This record gives sequence, C-alpha cells and structure tokens, in this order.
Amino acid sequence: MSARKPLINWLAAPAFSLFGLFFLLPLALLFVVSFWRVSNFKLAPALSIAAYWRTFAEFGGVLAMTILIGLTVAALSTIIGFIFAYGARFHGKRYADGLILLVMISLFGGYLTKIYAWKSVLAQDGLINSALLNLGLIDAPLAWLIYSPFAVVLALTHFLLPFAVLPIHAELKNVDIITLEAARDLGASRRQVLHKIVLPQIRRGLFAAFALTFLAAAGDYVTPLFLGSGGGMMIGQFIALEFSTRFNWPGGAAMSFCLMAACGLIISAFWVGLVRGKS
Amino acid sequence: MAKAEMRKVFWPLILSLIAIFLLAPLMIVVVFSFAANTVTRLPIEGLTLNWYTQLFGNSEFWSALKNSVLISLPAAIIATLTGTAVAFGLSSNDRQKALSLLSILSLPVMLPPLVIAIGLVVLFVRGLGLLLGLPAVIIGHVLLTQPLVALVIAARLATFDQTAVEAARDLGATRFQAFRFITLPQMKTAIIGAFLIAFAVSLDEFIVTLFTIGSGNTLSTFVWGRMRTALDPSINAVATLLLVFTIAVVLFSAAQNKRQA
Repeated sequence: MSARKPLINWLAAPAFSLFGLFFLLPLALLFVVSFWRVSNFKLAPALSIAAYWRTFAEFGGVLAMTILIGLTVAALSTIIGFIFAYGARFHGKRYADGLILLVMISLFGGYLTKIYAWKSVLAQDGLINSALLNLGLIDAPLAWLIYSPFAVVLALTHFLLPFAVLPIHAELKNVDIITLEAARDLGASRRQVLHKIVLPQIRRGLFAAFALTFLAAAGDYVTPLFLGSGGGMMIGQFIALEFSTRFNWPGGAAMSFCLMAACGLIISAFWVGLVRGKS
Repeated sequence: MAKAEMRKVFWPLILSLIAIFLLAPLMIVVVFSFAANTVTRLPIEGLTLNWYTQLFGNSEFWSALKNSVLISLPAAIIATLTGTAVAFGLSSNDRQKALSLLSILSLPVMLPPLVIAIGLVVLFVRGLGLLLGLPAVIIGHVLLTQPLVALVIAARLATFDQTAVEAARDLGATRFQAFRFITLPQMKTAIIGAFLIAFAVSLDEFIVTLFTIGSGNTLSTFVWGRMRTALDPSINAVATLLLVFTIAVVLFSAAQNKRQA
C-alpha cells in the first residue's frame, strides 16, 4: 500500500498543479488586489478596506437582491427538480431513461441560446405577448414579463433545472421502491412515505441540487443583463462593470469576495441544517 | 372513480409539462432559425434558409468557429489527460479522501465563472505580464472541465473490476502492461465520453472566454456580440448550430455508454 503512494501523487499532480497555479494563485492575487486603490485608472498597491466599505455602502442592496434571487431560483429548481426526478424514477415506466436524456439535452442546449430564447418569448412583441394580443386576452403587452425579476428568475430556473434534477435523480436511484411499497402496505400515508423515507435518503442529493443552483444563480450576470431591469439587479453585473469599463480592479475584487463569502455562509447554513436532519 | 382517474393522469401530465418547459425555448430557437420572420412571433411567415446562408457568408462566423475549435479541442484533450490521471491517482485512496480531493478540484466549477475570469485576467496581466489570448482561454477551460472528466472517470472506475488486473499481475504482467491491455480498453468509452463532455462544455463556455480572449471571437462570444448589437433572428441560426452540435455530442456520448453497459 505505501509503495503506491508516490504513484498517486504523480498522477494527480498535473491537474492539481493547474488548479494551484491558475485558480488558487489568481484568487490569492485577487484578494491582495482587493485591498489596493485605484487613482487615475492606475492600480496603486495599498492596504485599504475602502473597496470593501464601498461594496456594502453602495451595493449592499444589490447584494441582498442577488442573494434573494439566488435563493428563489434554488428553491424553485430544487422543488421542481425533485418532482421531475421523483416522477421519472418511480412513475416514468419505460420513459424513465428518455426523460433523463431530455434533461441532459437541455443541460447542453447552451447558455446564451436560452437567454436569447427567453428574450424572444417574453419580449413586448415576443411570442407570449403577441399570442395573447391576437387571442384578444389582453389589450396591451404585459410589461412585467420582461426586464423584471420575474424574467430573471424564470430564465435562471429554466437554465438550472437540469443541474437540480441530475443529483437528485442519482440519489433516488438508490432508493428501493420495495421499501416505499412496504411502508404503504403497513399503512403509511403518501406524505409520511415522502417525509420519513424518501427525503431523508436523498438529503445529499437535495443539498447538492440546492447548492449548485444557488451558487450558479447568485453568480450570474448575463441573465439579468439581458432580462433584468435596466439599472442592474444582480451584483455580478456590477462586478463585470468594475472590471471592464470602470477599470476598478480593487472594487470588483472586493465585491467578488463579499459575494463568495455571503454564498459560503448560506451554503454552510444549509449544510448544517441538512446534517441535523430534514424536517 | 374520478380521483383514481386523476391519479393516472397526474404524473404523465406533470412530467410532460416540465419536459416541455425544459425543451420549448430551445425548440423555439431552432424553429425560428428557419422562419422568414424578422421578429420572433406567430404566425410563421414562411420557411427559409436565408439566416444560414447569411451566416455562412459571414467571415466573422468562420473565424469565430476556427477559434472555438482551436480552443476547445486542446482544452478538452488536456482536461481529459489531467482529469483521467487524477481519477486513476485517487482510485486507490480511501473514498472519503478521494471525494474531498475531487470536491476541491471542482471548486472552479462552483464559483461564479466571472470570478475565475477576472482572476485569470489579474494573473496574466498584472501578475505574469503576459498577453491574454487563446492560451489563457484554454487554461481557463481546462480548469472548468478537468473536474468533470475526473468525476466521470472516477464514477466508471468505481464499478471497474480489478480482479482481471490482479490476475494479469499474478501472471507476470508489469503494472504498465496490465494498464495498457486490460484497464485502458475497458475505460475507452468512458474516456471518450468524458472528452466529448469536456469539448461540449468548452464550446459553449462564454464568460471566461469573453474576459480572457483579448481579441477575436469564439462561437459563443460571437453570439454575445450579435445579442449586444442587433437582436436579429440570425442569432437563431448560430444558436441552433451550437445547440445541435453540443447535443449531438451528448447523444453520441450517451449512446456509447449504452453500448458499454
């Protein structure tokens, strides 16, 4: 056993070297830069928390909104994802594999493509509005369909649903249908079977689904850029701005770490909640 | 009676609704890439291949396609090599340690791609003083796809039967021979599948590419450019091409797995 150890390190080295050099190192640099200052579009090394202070002062509300949207998307994705995974697993019959294949197809269908699709569907002169107008169901295009939190949540949930279905389905495959049927035979109601047998067994899958979708939603900036309200809804948009046109690297870096810290806290809270058992 | 009938319809209905929700936006893009409409709405004003001919006559499209291949092919190859190596390296560790190490390697996938992107920009521009460009994009893509490869290969390795390897070693084969003649052939489909997944992910990747490419376009940044300037339906054509290609890759990979199993 001990003779194999060097081989293991040697095999894993390339991947972890790339990881260390091009992921950890940049993060460390970014952290250092977040304490610098910017004057006249030039970076000045310093030790200042001005960027962090500014993040909370100017973007506190945006950060809160970002977290809220992230949580909403994660909740919707996890719930709908669970329903789909559960249905495919236990009620899919011969379509079960096909349904999961559909999810994979959707997963690889493209990121920008979907945003563009939703823009076409939800626009003032898009599919939904024109259809409703033609059917005479409305007099004027529905304004809230696009450039609103609704549009952003809808598009993000649609994009992230496969990320929720797959981990839950993977865990559900380990749940034996015989246990469920036995419980029903012994008199358990459907709700009891769900709460006491199914959900506890797939806790890790539910957590993975929630964590993945929350992180992806909170960090997104392209969706709110095309579908959100004009001023900017989510902090990712402002981070991108700071880094591109404003050339405020310390600002963008500080905002990134605040976002990651907030996400980390929430994920940890959920992990603790899960370890202590789901109600 | 009514309740029992409702029950029968319930699951097929729910599953169909969610499936339609998942696929409808994609189908809309595909359908309207062949429609003569300049605005995406019903009714469809006639079928045409104009958007595609327009696209294929656009030199920007071809240079974007070239860059996409120049980036995604090397990135997928490198990620497959490093990811497979990691999976093998961790396979003889205990599961807990292997899982934690794989989770750490997956961090780039969990963090916002924006952070990866700006990190790479800071490293290259400020830290190393190098120019951004294709190599930077390739590195970013490898970071994002090598965990996927590692996970796919590790999952396959978990069900791999070691007894054939042990028997070969008992009969005198070196570790390398056993790997080359027994392990590798059986892992071939999984490795090809992982490569295809990495390739598809890299092809669609947009945020890291946008920040690290410097000048020039890939297919995805080309779509982005189109979306920023003019929301004309020609975007449907590019999007459909990208979509069809990545989905074909996934279906091929899934078919391979079915044959293996």
